[in-house]
Amino acid sequence: MSQSDLQFTFDDQIISAKSGQSVGAALLAADVRKLRTTRFDQNPRGVFCGIGVCFDCLVVIDGITNQRACIVEVKPGMKVQTQVGSNA
Amino acid sequence: MHNVVIIGAGPAGLSAALSAAAAGAPVLLLDNNPRLGGQYWRTFTEDTDRERSQHFDLDTGLILMNAVKARKDIEVWSGAQIWSASHQQGVNTLRVIYQGIEKIINTKNLVICTGAYDRTLPFPGWDIPGIMTPGGVQSLLKGHGVLAGKKVVVAGSGPFLLPVAAGVIKSGGTVLELLEANKSRRWLLSPLTLLENISKIKEAFYYIKTISEGKLRARFGQAVVAAHRGDNGELNSVDIAVINRNFKIKKIRNVKCDVAAIGWGFTADTSIAGALGCKQVIAKDDGVVVLVNDDQQTSITGVFAAGEITGIGGSELSMAEGVIAGLAAAKYVGCNVNILKAHRKRRAKKQRFADALIKSYPVKSGWKSWLNDQTVICRCEEVNLSDLKHAIKELGATDSRTAKLLTRCGMGLCQGRVCGRSVVDLVADEIKISPTDTDRISAVNRPIISPIPLGVLAAGE
Amino acid sequence: MKNPDAIVIGAGVVGACSALSLTNAGLRVLVIDRGPVASGTTGAGEGNILVSDKEPSAELTLAVRSRDAWFELNTDIGGGFELEPKGGVVVSRSEKGIASLKKLSQIQKTSGIEVVELDAAEVRKIEPFISSSVEYAVLYPGDAQCQPMLAAAQIMRAVRKRGGQFIQGESVKSINISSGKVVGLKTDKNNYSCPIIINATGTWAGEIATMAGSYLPIMPRRGFILVTSPVPKIVHHKVYDADYVANVASSDADLQSSAVVEGTESGTILIGASRERVGFKSDLDVAVLRQLARQAISLFPILSNMLFLRAYRGFRPYAPDHLPVIGEDANVAGLWHAAGHEGAGIGLAPATGELITAQITGNKTFMDPTPFSPKRFKESVHVAV
Repeated sequence: MSQSDLQFTFDDQIISAKSGQSVGAALLAADVRKLRTTRFDQNPRGVFCGIGVCFDCLVVIDGITNQRACIVEVKPGMKVQTQVGSNA
Repeated sequence: MHNVVIIGAGPAGLSAALSAAAAGAPVLLLDNNPRLGGQYWRTFTEDTDRERSQHFDLDTGLILMNAVKARKDIEVWSGAQIWSASHQQGVNTLRVIYQGIEKIINTKNLVICTGAYDRTLPFPGWDIPGIMTPGGVQSLLKGHGVLAGKKVVVAGSGPFLLPVAAGVIKSGGTVLELLEANKSRRWLLSPLTLLENISKIKEAFYYIKTISEGKLRARFGQAVVAAHRGDNGELNSVDIAVINRNFKIKKIRNVKCDVAAIGWGFTADTSIAGALGCKQVIAKDDGVVVLVNDDQQTSITGVFAAGEITGIGGSELSMAEGVIAGLAAAKYVGCNVNILKAHRKRRAKKQRFADALIKSYPVKSGWKSWLNDQTVICRCEEVNLSDLKHAIKELGATDSRTAKLLTRCGMGLCQGRVCGRSVVDLVADEIKISPTDTDRISAVNRPIISPIPLGVLAAGE
Repeated sequence: MKNPDAIVIGAGVVGACSALSLTNAGLRVLVIDRGPVASGTTGAGEGNILVSDKEPSAELTLAVRSRDAWFELNTDIGGGFELEPKGGVVVSRSEKGIASLKKLSQIQKTSGIEVVELDAAEVRKIEPFISSSVEYAVLYPGDAQCQPMLAAAQIMRAVRKRGGQFIQGESVKSINISSGKVVGLKTDKNNYSCPIIINATGTWAGEIATMAGSYLPIMPRRGFILVTSPVPKIVHHKVYDADYVANVASSDADLQSSAVVEGTESGTILIGASRERVGFKSDLDVAVLRQLARQAISLFPILSNMLFLRAYRGFRPYAPDHLPVIGEDANVAGLWHAAGHEGAGIGLAPATGELITAQITGNKTFMDPTPFSPKRFKESVHVAV
């Protein structure tokens, strides 16, 4: 099975991914490290533990908040956005 | 119709599933990942040659995973998320979200193989995007074919740093520094233990070869003690310190990098075992583990545990334990089983090696001296050291539970998985006592195992 | 502290408020708790400061004074416990319920409680995410919220700063009595001489009374609270179903539950409220959690997508007539009880402190404390000590 390329958006960027990759992995491959900002101090956060334990890599996917980028697999046409605090 | 229920499809769970099924007990294997293999045998493509480059021994994993997939008497639920586990009058009830809906499993027997995750320590700047765990960097490589950064610093303590550094180099990345906090002479284990674990020596040399080919030399007695961000808010350098044997800083130098993979061994994931009421004890690395007897049975009859949750010890020990746990579970449900001496001998051998390793990679208390008042301790709730100190000094918190209630440490989405262990040490240090077992255990136990949407809770039975 | 003027047993919110009132009145106060601050029911509280959920009664008078006392206390000690005058919105969706709610709110109005009736459009204006099935509600601007653990901790801090002392980790083993009067108490570690003891042990108050050879019928009533992950501001007030009032007053042992939903400063949403008489059974009961989730979603459908992160449970202390106990023991002079506030402990704590202090110091009380007297329990047993 070859790794086919697919595309999704992160905010206003078009990002390429290989099928089977997580959103977090595809974003890192595209040099995108900042995924969200924290709700009290507005600090940027990205992938930390990479295995779904730390809940730091939260992004909004197709309108739903608190999605762990390191776990969710990329689907073609997915709309991923920076999560601001707990908001979309 | 299954007889044995197993949680976790890493080395221990896969071994338990195969041994239980071979002994005549059909198995239900629950795992929260989309693919078998746990953390240890993550793969990305079907190209086994490519995948082998990221593993020391993928073939053993492939044998186990293919065998599990091929057996009709092992039913696998991948992507199954257990959110609640309780034990009442001999019956264990698991509430599982599987394919979007809640399923309830009531079983008298259980084999828990929930593994472990990287242990982290807070330090100034550890929340900057670009600071990761070794497990995270490795998972990105093994499971997604992605190199987290171009200039990587690998640091912390423990044998796990080696394969992570080797993995980065094999993928074409640059490891700028490989830092082991403890002194190199600790790597000299007792000759007997080494001799009986030749495979581990081979494994070490496998990594060392890769690392020297990458022109990298490991440095001992050094650690990353702070991280700094660039104007874009992302990691651009780390402070590396020469540290003394108690981990106190002697000298600092700064190194530019875009990723730092920092880890301090592992924390066992005992939340399901704890929720059922299995007795937990403190291991030599101060981590909480599940107590098991010679048959891998916990303090609850019919509930078995194998792998890292009974003590951090690596994949080979996990497999040895898994075999025994699977056989013991099959025996418990009535199969005619004889647990061979050879299995116990093999486990003992692996255990001796694991024990020697744990002694070699202690985390010394001096790490607390790297922190300043602004260092974030609870990442989820952005609680920093001065907030924690305030709760202790001014508001009277004398245990980590009260500190949690007064500061929100551990109340965020990860429910203390990342900060819990450190908070126990920091609180005890502030009030000048030794952390109690109760404190340590309550920091890693959570009755709600994982978050579920309220609608799913409402819709269940 | 040698020879304190008063010992308060219990560093929950009621004990802390009692200690503060006594300290402010000039007494040297020692507080003893077998655990840390807020380690009993206070640590499982929601932080309700309500005037809306009581019919005109002694308890309502206590609640009204206590609500104002909270804000005075906040100023006095410098805050730090997320006190919020957020207001409560009580809804009802059945014809019968709406009629009862209308009646209750009119009666409360005559007692001086501010009430604002809301029709369907007006409710939606102040709570945009509330279910479209809500067509009538009453807003109580007087209702407020705080973080109970922080409240108890901040109050105890003030007590210590003003000369009081807090000893934690000591368990009271006996009350020392001579000629029917308190002379001190004994813990597992020490002996203390003192003529005044305040029993603020909440759900365990009956045990202290028994130790003194007296009697206090306080029983546990278990409650659970669900907590969501932090979410954007969805619920703006404390919103609860009018059934709540009936459940509090019920003597039914079975599960009584009705929706109580509110946001917190930290961004999480708290969902209650359940009441069961199951002794001190402490495991999480999934059936109860499910019921709470269903009720909350019925009130705020958007909650369906929010993550349920953790749950906690506590044991509310209640007396058979559902009124708190605030006064001198029926049999033992010098033993004062400040306990049994059921689910209103947080709200009623400061006024309880004032009432007990006034009685102890012989000053004028702001209301007649007779309804709360421990002497009201007919089964009071006198044992010669």
